[in-house]
Amino acid sequence: MSILQVQNIQKHFGNVNVLHNISFELEKGQTLAIIGSSGSGKTTLLRCLNFLETPDEGRICVAGETLFDAKDPAAQKEKEIRRKRLHFGMVFQSFHLFPQYTALENVMLAPELLAKEEKDFKSRKKEILQDIRSRAEDLLRQMGLEDRASHYPHELSGGQQQRVAIARALAMNPDIMCFDEPTSALDPELTGEVLKVIRGLSQAKTTMIIVTHEMAFARDVADRVIFMDNGVVVEQGEAREVIDHPKEERTKRFLARYSAEGSMRT
Amino acid sequence: MFWTVNNALLEAMGTTLQLFALTLLFSLPLGLVIAFGSMSKWAPLRFLSRFFRVPGIFKGLAGFRPIHFLVDVVVWIIRGTPLMLQLLLIYFGPGLIFDNNIWGSGNGGRFVATVAAFVLNYSCYFSVIYRGGIEGVPVGQREAGQVLGMTRPQIFFKITLLQMVKRIVPPMSNEIITLVKDTSLARIIAVSELIKVGESFMKSDGLIWPLFYTGVYYLVFVGVLTLLFGYVERKLGYFR
Repeated sequence: MSILQVQNIQKHFGNVNVLHNISFELEKGQTLAIIGSSGSGKTTLLRCLNFLETPDEGRICVAGETLFDAKDPAAQKEKEIRRKRLHFGMVFQSFHLFPQYTALENVMLAPELLAKEEKDFKSRKKEILQDIRSRAEDLLRQMGLEDRASHYPHELSGGQQQRVAIARALAMNPDIMCFDEPTSALDPELTGEVLKVIRGLSQAKTTMIIVTHEMAFARDVADRVIFMDNGVVVEQGEAREVIDHPKEERTKRFLARYSAEGSMRT
Repeated sequence: MFWTVNNALLEAMGTTLQLFALTLLFSLPLGLVIAFGSMSKWAPLRFLSRFFRVPGIFKGLAGFRPIHFLVDVVVWIIRGTPLMLQLLLIYFGPGLIFDNNIWGSGNGGRFVATVAAFVLNYSCYFSVIYRGGIEGVPVGQREAGQVLGMTRPQIFFKITLLQMVKRIVPPMSNEIITLVKDTSLARIIAVSELIKVGESFMKSDGLIWPLFYTGVYYLVFVGVLTLLFGYVERKLGYFR
């Protein structure tokens, strides 16, 4: 059974229909790329999954559990949403690291706060904090940042900051990692190091959803691709199939623009 | 004579310092509460918008935020009238209106009333500075906290607060330095602060220089504060 089921998501901002009847599924361990031009609703979709926006209609299920159902507003209380969010990890386009904390502290902050709510925290405090710390250090090592652990965000390059942000999201052990244009705020030189990390996560069978403009990357790394335009899913399918042999006219036009501009980097 | 004056002024400086410190002690936290009040999104009539899609009176009612409204009116009144007037009203008001001087008699009562007026006045000014500081922290910071499963209080205290403090140090230093000199308004209800005591030598000994000499006290005090603010700013310079 698929780990994520998204059914008929609709979202309006005022009179603008941002998302229209979005449905898709994602298998555990798979990587899904969402492509499409700016303003097509990709980011809003990702924000809906993370409860940063509330869809007007539709259902979101993770591992068989209904996390969101527009028909059941009672289940949308702040307290419950908070726990449900933890099924998803989110990496933002512009990192949003906490500037007053070091790279390591950024990664440890949320796990520590969560651990403090456990009943047995007081009795096992030292042990729990040590676990969180070594896990955070492991994650930074995995990101190739072991020597940057005690640096503050403003002392890091954009690519390093984004890798810290990825480690921070992974530290909460989400079922599904979401990336919102993770390399769009980076210059081409730094894009590579972030993509390499995401590629590694994909090979390690992390379940991921990536909103991206990097077509070559989507084609290589993703198992499935969704092409969105004007708030609707125009085409979805196996990544190579959709990108190399698009069926819909709109998808063809979109992809043609990419290869024409020479941005099909490998 | 100089030492007589100096000792009297030193004692008055004690009163001024107490007024200054107590005002800060209460108005710094109260200002934050007022700031949250003015940012309150609570709109109990919001449900009306579901029934009336037409713009007009119902839309206005649905968007009505009572706490935000109330707080903004209070801040308007406090910022819109002189502190001296507020001081007089707070000290004499209860006695004149209800025939009940709640402040008690003598110097103690006058001092307590002064602190109350100063706290009310300064917390309103601080609240606006706080609001600016909080709204200046990028939304992305809050969202990053949210997606990590943090609660609203956790997000405020662990993420927003320090970034806000960093932002508001310059405007706060302005306001706090103004407070140093505003303490002299307390003399309107005969609190023996610096200016009042300095002035008293005019009447008793025909000396004018003690009044102007108080300026040295203010200058030294503000000098110390300026150094302190510089230190805080440098301390918070470790992040951007």
